[in-house]
Amino acid sequence: MRYRGPATIFLLLVALSLSMLIAVATGPTSVPFASIFQDATAHQIIFDIRLPRVIAAVLVGAALATAGTAMQALFKNPMADPYIIGTSAGGSLGAVASIVFLAGFGLPVFAFTGAVGATFLVYTIARRGGKIPVETLLLTGVALSMFLSAMLSFLMYTSGKSLHQIVFWLMGGFWTVSWDQVWVALVIPVGCLLIYLFARDINIISLGDDEAVHLGVNVEQLKILLLFASAVLAGIAVSIAGAIGFIGLITPHLMRNIVGPDHRVLFPAAILAGALILLWADTFTRTLGNEMPVGIITAFLGAPFFMYLLRRRSAV
Amino acid sequence: MKAVDVIDLDVRYGAHQILEAIAFSVHSGEMIGICGPNGSGKTTLLKAMSRIIAPAAGEVYYNGEQMDTLSFRMLAQRVAVVPQETAINFDFTVSEIVMMGRHPYIGRFASESREDHAICDRVMRLANVSHLADMPVNQISGGERQRVLIARALAQEPDVLLLDEATSHLDISHQIEILSIIRKEMEKTATISVFHDINLASCYCDRIVLLNDRKIAAMGTPVQVITRDLIRCVYGIDVIVSSHPTTGRPYILPAYQDPMDEKRGGRVHIICGGSMGSQLLGMLHLTGCVLSAGVLNVLDSDYVTARDLGIPLISEAPFAPISASSSSLLKQWLEESDLIILVAMPVGMGNLSNLRMVSHYPKKTVILGSIDEFEDFTSGEATMILGNLLEGGGEECASPDQVMKRLCYREESSCSVPNSGSRLENLT
Repeated sequence: MRYRGPATIFLLLVALSLSMLIAVATGPTSVPFASIFQDATAHQIIFDIRLPRVIAAVLVGAALATAGTAMQALFKNPMADPYIIGTSAGGSLGAVASIVFLAGFGLPVFAFTGAVGATFLVYTIARRGGKIPVETLLLTGVALSMFLSAMLSFLMYTSGKSLHQIVFWLMGGFWTVSWDQVWVALVIPVGCLLIYLFARDINIISLGDDEAVHLGVNVEQLKILLLFASAVLAGIAVSIAGAIGFIGLITPHLMRNIVGPDHRVLFPAAILAGALILLWADTFTRTLGNEMPVGIITAFLGAPFFMYLLRRRSAV
Repeated sequence: MKAVDVIDLDVRYGAHQILEAIAFSVHSGEMIGICGPNGSGKTTLLKAMSRIIAPAAGEVYYNGEQMDTLSFRMLAQRVAVVPQETAINFDFTVSEIVMMGRHPYIGRFASESREDHAICDRVMRLANVSHLADMPVNQISGGERQRVLIARALAQEPDVLLLDEATSHLDISHQIEILSIIRKEMEKTATISVFHDINLASCYCDRIVLLNDRKIAAMGTPVQVITRDLIRCVYGIDVIVSSHPTTGRPYILPAYQDPMDEKRGGRVHIICGGSMGSQLLGMLHLTGCVLSAGVLNVLDSDYVTARDLGIPLISEAPFAPISASSSSLLKQWLEESDLIILVAMPVGMGNLSNLRMVSHYPKKTVILGSIDEFEDFTSGEATMILGNLLEGGGEECASPDQVMKRLCYREESSCSVPNSGSRLENLT
């Protein structure tokens, strides 16, 4: 075998479990293991602050990786991620609108609505006679993203005092996460599972739309499913943690190099890897990073790594 | 029941009509070739038949079931498509690609069964790609990749196979290999294939549908469809249609130059035999002179050339001597001719009367080759007649080109060869 699918997934699973334990155990305040069940403050730190944050980071990482993998297959384009079709810009605009006009009231709802709404808008504009040509969808997404970014810039320009809060939010982070958000984030595994059920169809659609029709895939229906399931996943991710870049772009690439192009293996591997990367990025910022926005870390490490992957691939 | 029934199919792209009133049916085990010039709608027809584009009107039935009533899965269980050439960007292995052919049979919550694996193994053996099973599909050659796609189509176990120029980009040995695999392994499958190469279609297809200008121009067996007139009408070129020596199927050779549209030239009669006259017949055919030939024996290679070029000729059964009726017809034709060309050839008692007839018209006779090149099997009579011909004013020309120049020269008095100079010199 060229690729080591099952072994990779097993290793990632073990690594993620251990990492979650380590992440819960570490933080700015040191909490001795013995004190967890005796000291109320220690109990609170572990179960109400660290644990929900760790779970949220894992789920958001999984959501971004799944959405990115699905988008890359749908667009047959390795540069695609959930943000390319305007999902991120829509989510950011929703969040910023909430900060500017409602002082942050209902921010997650606005972010989610913005993300899914932007996707729906792109879909509606790109749709022609019951079909969504992939190139049109991609270009419409890019154009709409620019438009939404312009609106975002305008809001920031006129926002006055809340500018600091906006900028902080846009960079992405988990510092406000509580159990409430984790309950919402439980939709993420459901979305991932739904997309995974279509893994074989996704393999086939990556060969081309016409060929997929010839092999019995209901292509247009699959496009809608992937588009909206990805938008919901990315929307939830944005609503919890802001606009975190690069996880959705890099993890599918990284894992495709290791486990191969079969989405039945690629999805679980990317989900675990996305979760692992985001968990460690957040743990780093929590402990050593002075709570800087996690989006800075993912971009700072992700972009050079992505360039390395590109170089290596073109050398083959 | 017919495997495929296409009923009055119309396809439009916006206001632009691509196909109009296409109707044909195909039986199981039959192979149909779709031929026609670029832009005649061949590929569009296959797309409309595989649900890639929706027809504006008309219906397609597979085994009596209307295509639109079938789900995508059900359609893929009945109809497989082999595309022209595919670039596969993700590096799936050959066996993964072939297994995709089983997709329409595998449930959403199921994975491949042992039976699916057995089918894939079998079709990979048939398509001769078993040894490539673990190779990434983007690292194998074009011919191998096309065989992989054939294997994938076989794995679909279809009733109907659609090929969109599936072999166009392959070299000739791979073309033959792939079409032979399909004909051999898909005995119960109705195959519809778009061909650019008419000779390939002729060789492998039971029937040919000739498309032209959105419509079906002709449909029938290769012999019925591949005719000089139809090819000229559809492709606008002049071809020579012959019968393939081993398959017996018709094949075409482009003439590479159009004959004059009007028969403006004078009347030229050619007497030849063996294979001595074929080249000259071809050259004269292009000049616009009104040609005739004979007397020739059926199956003589000059006979075949004249027939394929559509030149009127007087013929006798193989190896039969020239009959009295042929002789009198020849006399009449020679009388009407402005020029008689006698090509050096073996002369025996059977065809001697050709020479006897020519001997009456020495002044309008041109001999291709010298009289010494005639092989005389008539104990001297042929040689004597030829000698008299020269004495009476007949001329010898060493090569066909010289004959053509001679033709132009005579032109001024009798035979009008159009565009003589430049056109004829181009032939050399």
